[in-house]
Amino acid sequence: MKKYEFNEITLLQFICINLGIQVSVGALSLPQRLALKASTDGWMAIILMWAITIAASWIIIQIMKKYPDGTLPDLLSRYLGKWVGKAVALAAALYFLYYAYVVIVSTILYTKQWLLPRTPGEIIMLLFLIPAYAIASKGLRVIGRYAEVVILLSGWMLVIYMESFRDAYWLHLRPFFKEGWYPVIAALPEASLSFIGFASLFILYPFLQNKQQAFIGITVSSTLSMLVYLFTTIICFVYFSPDQIMQYNDPVVTILKVIKFRFVDRIEVLFISFYLFMFSLSWITTIYFSVFCTSWALGKQDHRGHLRILLFGAVAGTYFFMPTEQQKNQLEDLLMQIGIGFEYAFPVCLLIYLWLHERVLGRIKR
Amino acid sequence: MVNLCKGDVMRFLDKFSRRKYSSAREEGRQADQDSISTRLPQNIEQLHNLFPEAPDLIIREFTIKKTGELAALAYFKGLSDKNAINTSVLRPLQFEIGHDNQDEGFALSVGPIQSLNTWSDIEASIFSGESILFVDGRLEAYALDTRGWPQRAIGEPQTESSLRGAHQGFVETGAQNIAMIRRYISNRELKIKELKAGRRGATKISLLYPGDVAHPEVLKELEDRISQLDVDVIINTGELAELIEDNPYSPFPQFILTERPDAAASQLLQGRIVVIVDRSPSVLVAPAGFTAFFQSIDDYSTRWLISSFIRLLRFLAFFIAILLPGLYIALISFNYELIPIKLFLTIGDFRGRVPFPPFVEAIIMEITLEMMREAGVRLPAPIGQTIGIVGGIVVGEAIVQAGVINNIMVIVVAFTAIASFILPNYDMVASVRIIRFLMMIAASMFGIVGIVVGMMILIGHIISLESLGTPYGSPIAPFRLSDWKDAFVRLPLWNMKTRPISARAIQSKRQGSSRPKGDGK
Repeated sequence: MKKYEFNEITLLQFICINLGIQVSVGALSLPQRLALKASTDGWMAIILMWAITIAASWIIIQIMKKYPDGTLPDLLSRYLGKWVGKAVALAAALYFLYYAYVVIVSTILYTKQWLLPRTPGEIIMLLFLIPAYAIASKGLRVIGRYAEVVILLSGWMLVIYMESFRDAYWLHLRPFFKEGWYPVIAALPEASLSFIGFASLFILYPFLQNKQQAFIGITVSSTLSMLVYLFTTIICFVYFSPDQIMQYNDPVVTILKVIKFRFVDRIEVLFISFYLFMFSLSWITTIYFSVFCTSWALGKQDHRGHLRILLFGAVAGTYFFMPTEQQKNQLEDLLMQIGIGFEYAFPVCLLIYLWLHERVLGRIKR
Repeated sequence: MVNLCKGDVMRFLDKFSRRKYSSAREEGRQADQDSISTRLPQNIEQLHNLFPEAPDLIIREFTIKKTGELAALAYFKGLSDKNAINTSVLRPLQFEIGHDNQDEGFALSVGPIQSLNTWSDIEASIFSGESILFVDGRLEAYALDTRGWPQRAIGEPQTESSLRGAHQGFVETGAQNIAMIRRYISNRELKIKELKAGRRGATKISLLYPGDVAHPEVLKELEDRISQLDVDVIINTGELAELIEDNPYSPFPQFILTERPDAAASQLLQGRIVVIVDRSPSVLVAPAGFTAFFQSIDDYSTRWLISSFIRLLRFLAFFIAILLPGLYIALISFNYELIPIKLFLTIGDFRGRVPFPPFVEAIIMEITLEMMREAGVRLPAPIGQTIGIVGGIVVGEAIVQAGVINNIMVIVVAFTAIASFILPNYDMVASVRIIRFLMMIAASMFGIVGIVVGMMILIGHIISLESLGTPYGSPIAPFRLSDWKDAFVRLPLWNMKTRPISARAIQSKRQGSSRPKGDGK
């Protein structure tokens, strides 16, 4: 039985979707977060976290292989009963919803900070949710295509950073392991915030055209995100002094202030407005996952009804409460903790449980 | 074949059939009404009844010299070729005896002769320009192919002129258009499917497709959509396109309409389907992707480097035409920090004299431009020159000196106009105009964020469109690298070994590598 045949996505779309989810929240503030914990050794945490992420996604794929034609809720309802499936679907929906909320809130804060200081938050929220509805309502295939376009459009942004290598001071990185391994390990959770999002595998796996390539896909996308983070972080580290970097909230953006071209002043404004594409990819996809899960739990085929309710709720909610910069940081910290739980710890437990389940059940059957 | 039976046998048969019909009442009467009679005067009367107020219906009665039968020829003046009727029908019938052993059929020098015996068939064929020959004593009439309606000579296509391409354009006669395409693809795999649509004037619609290349699913989809149409009549190909397209609420054209036989043939060879609507000089090509609207037939006949450059220019022009006025508004009223300081001072100097906000300024100029363009399209050429003079005054020095619009805005409008002129497809230019205004509104409300969100919606819209079930955004999204050879650039012809995937061709090999390798022999 193939439920999701009509919305199959290609490997490239899968990679782009994952890359989009990962390189959004925490991407701009990553160097500062790492520097606070591990000074200029922070970049090593990125590589470590990348390895852990790949291992975790391998585990998720092992789980999904047990029921290749279904999503995580499908799988759980088969192994553990309908109600567990529904409960996990709702939990996943909440997780993705929270993810989307954090991304969109930080996008709004960036927008307010750099582009539209006087526009109220709920108006910007409304503005951002229009494309979200237009794209998410069309289903996963269109999201995949959107991801391809956005990734294609955003590549040039990395090139700009080359400009700042001129003033790089490489000695900032030396010596390695200034204070031993401990700070690097302490910075791992900070790095994890930038890697979470590969839980999309739980939903995307059955939609993949060629499921053998799932691991290749997730490896490629995680590696690409790792390279992007490494590149920006190292640039920030060699450009700013180790003390300076802790003062800036978003060093990845601040560094652009120094770059000046003849034809455009303040390239960072252009950068942020273009970066909205990347952010949009992240929130559109996670919103879709969230609605997908709730529709699954309530047994609805059409996800658009839930999508409308969710988007309306988001705008109304923002009207009453719009987080500030500090609150956003708290939201991000919370997301980090939940993310570590849902994307790294939960799959391990689940795999062990499924393995035991098969063993025990297999023995009973025999 | 026509059979010369004895008159009384026929009459007997006629009576017999009448008796049979009268027993089966209702159906019989209807069938009786519809089928023609053996008696000539009755047929002529029925003709007059059928076409009561049609002074252009000609009924000519005469005696066939060969057999001595009474006959009548009916046709519409103007729809039929007068010369053909006079020399090939009336003359042989009235004056020639014919050969001895030729006792079946008439010695008529016209092409196909079809025998009809119901009035509905006769009506259809007389309207298509055929002349109908009634012979007294026969239960059938003969439709003679004497079609010859007013026609235009084949000329240069007006909307898509080209430098190197052929200078023949489609005309209003479907059969001629098919012939023009057949001249390019003389291969028996070029299949034609004929459909009829429209109740009041059945429009003949021909689907041309390469039989071994076109995808049967796409063909079936197109056929289904056309055969489900329930309209009075289809006057123009544009109407057909609107009636059968996937998403009628989109500003984007989803089928290519072209007047060029060479362009249509080249699309056919890529595995697409060409729809020819009789009486319309443009044909429809389906399925079409977004990038197809940036291609012109000249791209293939100029050097590939040059045509690649021109294609890139067109895509750049597309973005300029959509975004430039919006960017102007956004930069002036929201994000002025992006403008380099020297330029900003100059703009401020100009802007200081203008009383309107940037959005109003832009709207005034863009609407003026659109009106000028629309006026230029419909005005006859001698008056059209006036537009240039008047427009030169408006979009020029005077409006700036009067302090209504500033200089930079005039430059922006001029750039936008030029950019939209280089797009080769009129439908795409039209949608660009609409989108430009939407972008201007978005920019006036949210500045550069408005433009970015506008672009998100635009991208989301384009990629979710489909043309006959094939994705419109291909080869960008879904990403198909092998189709990029003929999308944003045009690679050398010897690289185009396969047909585009987006056309869903079932046989994809287009050519071998025909380029000589190595030096000389």
